[in-house]
Amino acid sequence: MRMALAPEQEQLRSDVCALLSEDSVRAEVERARRAPLGEEAGLLDVYRRLGERGWLAPNWPVEHGGLGRTLAEKAIVTEELMAHGVPDIVHTISIDIVGTAVNLLGTDAQRARWLPRLASGEGAASVLFSEPDVGSDLSRLTTRAEPDGDGWRLHGRKVYSMKSHVADFALCAARTTQSEVRYQGITVFLLPLRAAGVLVERLPGICDEQFGSISLQGVRLTGEHVLGAVDDGWQTIGDILGLERTGIEFEAKARRWLDQVLAEAARTGRLDDPGVGAALVELDAAVTAGRALSWRAVSNVLRAERDDVLSAMAKWHTTETAKRIALGAADACGLDVLLHGSDQGAVLSGMVESAHREAPGLTLASGTSEIMLYLIASTGLGLVG
Amino acid sequence: MSPDQIEVQLRFGELVSDELAPVIARTGERPRDRDPAESAEARAVVHAALTGLGATRLLLPARYGGEGRGQQHAVLLAELLGTALYRGPLLDTWTATELLAAEEGHEKLLAQIAEGHAVALALRESGADEPDEPPRAEVASGAVTATRRFVDLSGEVAHLLVAGRTPAGVEGLVVRADHPSVNRRRQGDITRGELHEVRLAGTPLVARTEWAPALPAARIRHAAYLVGLCQGALDAAVARAGERHQFGQPIGRFQSIAFSLAEVATRLEGARWLVRGAAWDADQGIDVRLVALQSLAMASDLVAGATALALQTFGAAGLTEECDAQLFFRRGALERAWLGSPAQLRARAVPLLAARVSAAAAGPHRWSQLS
Repeated sequence: MRMALAPEQEQLRSDVCALLSEDSVRAEVERARRAPLGEEAGLLDVYRRLGERGWLAPNWPVEHGGLGRTLAEKAIVTEELMAHGVPDIVHTISIDIVGTAVNLLGTDAQRARWLPRLASGEGAASVLFSEPDVGSDLSRLTTRAEPDGDGWRLHGRKVYSMKSHVADFALCAARTTQSEVRYQGITVFLLPLRAAGVLVERLPGICDEQFGSISLQGVRLTGEHVLGAVDDGWQTIGDILGLERTGIEFEAKARRWLDQVLAEAARTGRLDDPGVGAALVELDAAVTAGRALSWRAVSNVLRAERDDVLSAMAKWHTTETAKRIALGAADACGLDVLLHGSDQGAVLSGMVESAHREAPGLTLASGTSEIMLYLIASTGLGLVG
Repeated sequence: MSPDQIEVQLRFGELVSDELAPVIARTGERPRDRDPAESAEARAVVHAALTGLGATRLLLPARYGGEGRGQQHAVLLAELLGTALYRGPLLDTWTATELLAAEEGHEKLLAQIAEGHAVALALRESGADEPDEPPRAEVASGAVTATRRFVDLSGEVAHLLVAGRTPAGVEGLVVRADHPSVNRRRQGDITRGELHEVRLAGTPLVARTEWAPALPAARIRHAAYLVGLCQGALDAAVARAGERHQFGQPIGRFQSIAFSLAEVATRLEGARWLVRGAAWDADQGIDVRLVALQSLAMASDLVAGATALALQTFGAAGLTEECDAQLFFRRGALERAWLGSPAQLRARAVPLLAARVSAAAAGPHRWSQLS
């Protein structure tokens, strides 16, 4: 009924936990948590230390900085990172989304070029899909790749990107061919963010992690930058959003948040309040259920059985649960948890206050909850569509 | 899933096939304008079939001639039975089996159970009683005097297991269901089934066991049954949403309906794996008191939502006798509270959760040993 972890996998969990429990790591995490509003964590030293050991992407090939092991090991690392409160956005975007896409869809040359720096924790990557007028329906994107000799020049604007200001490169979707069928003619590029013609600006928002607004002003790309096939980006995007998507990062985040809330509710005595206690019992069960779904998804990947419906269910379940935890935390713990980490009266280093601002984004990023339900209803139940 | 778990699914799958499941679903109520014996006979046939396939021996230890399987196998069968809206004594009988097998001296009774003798649990004197704190039962000179209501199928089983508070503690008191000192009155309940008020007036004891140790595993199995019940209701609603046309298209094309069903499907999948994980934990000897309460509360909430949504999807047709969705709706109302209401289950879980939090104290989360 459960996926048994091998002794060496349990050992990896224990080793990662030991590293993340070191005083220097805890101090770095605490500094990041208490940083003033508007100052966000970039490439932390702890990433480099994990990367040195091949632990950031243990499922990637050894020659690209991994350990040549499986997605289960990757999931273990993600759970430990979350459990220790390490800021995770760089890791999630660089390794889980972009790196995974390059690893599974890229050419040998692309893997060799882009993966080692991500796996070492010295580089990062971001995603440039959304535009001011284009969100879930990426078939309407307007960023254009105009032919230019043996390549293209990109023009357009991308928004709501995270970590582009610290990233080396990004997955960028652009229209290479005008087509009557709007799903055709899109191409996904690996876009070097330091290239001429790329302007990255902050787009101030409510989260610790700020959005970026990226202007593409004729940046030149060639065939070596194409991920997947030219004009087949719709398929590539679908693959990227579905690839090894297990919800592990969300279930682990939900568990971290709930454990903190439980500890605070216990400290204040509110856990003994029948109303508060019962609500937390319910959330605790939901977190456990979400974890079970996510590990089912991991198990499917290990068996090379792609199940987009289960992935969508895991994403919906875990993010909706995490959001309920964050948004209900003050009900369970009182107003102290709404103090920012930089306030002298902050509890839990301001984790809940930060989570409250982060939580709405969980059900929007990487496919909104509505898109997940659409996928479940259409592919899973045979409705809508 | 392991090969022997798949074997269990295959072995019992045929009994609840698409052809037979609707027939089984109808055996849970007394048919209108027909002989009530029809349903009883049908239930007896189903129980005989389950016994023939080994269901009553599933949890019986090998030393008593059973298969000695674990909760992981039992929950798979319980899910299948819930999907078909099975009504019969198997789950109660499993609970009695576990209690009797945990002690010496019940070999004869266990052998009878293995051969198909069924047991019904008698837990409540009042509808407000909860299984954790059963009402008093008088035991004198080896005989039991007690009243229990909401006893299911008491006229179709060989034995009753009466949960009761006695001077010795909270016990399971086993008596013959057909003893002359047992009087019963059929209760008219929402399921139109065979719930009875049972009065024992000095009924000889056949066996006495502990009671409390039975509850966690029984709750996990019942949660699995409820997961199955939800699946049955959801399947019916999804089929209806695909077939029923309004405004020129199947109603399942409207997102308000499709998304509601998708959400239930997702929550159901989460509950399914919560319950299966709890069963796995139980088989490893891990303390499952908390997760058993949580599993049953989650499944119970799901039943309320899924069965009501199924009726909403069917529209007024769902309120007619011929529609199976109303069977799930009515049975769900009873089954979801059978081993405790969600509110009370969660109230009981709070101190267990608080103890876990206290034990964890400071430090990062300790992930469970297995995913």
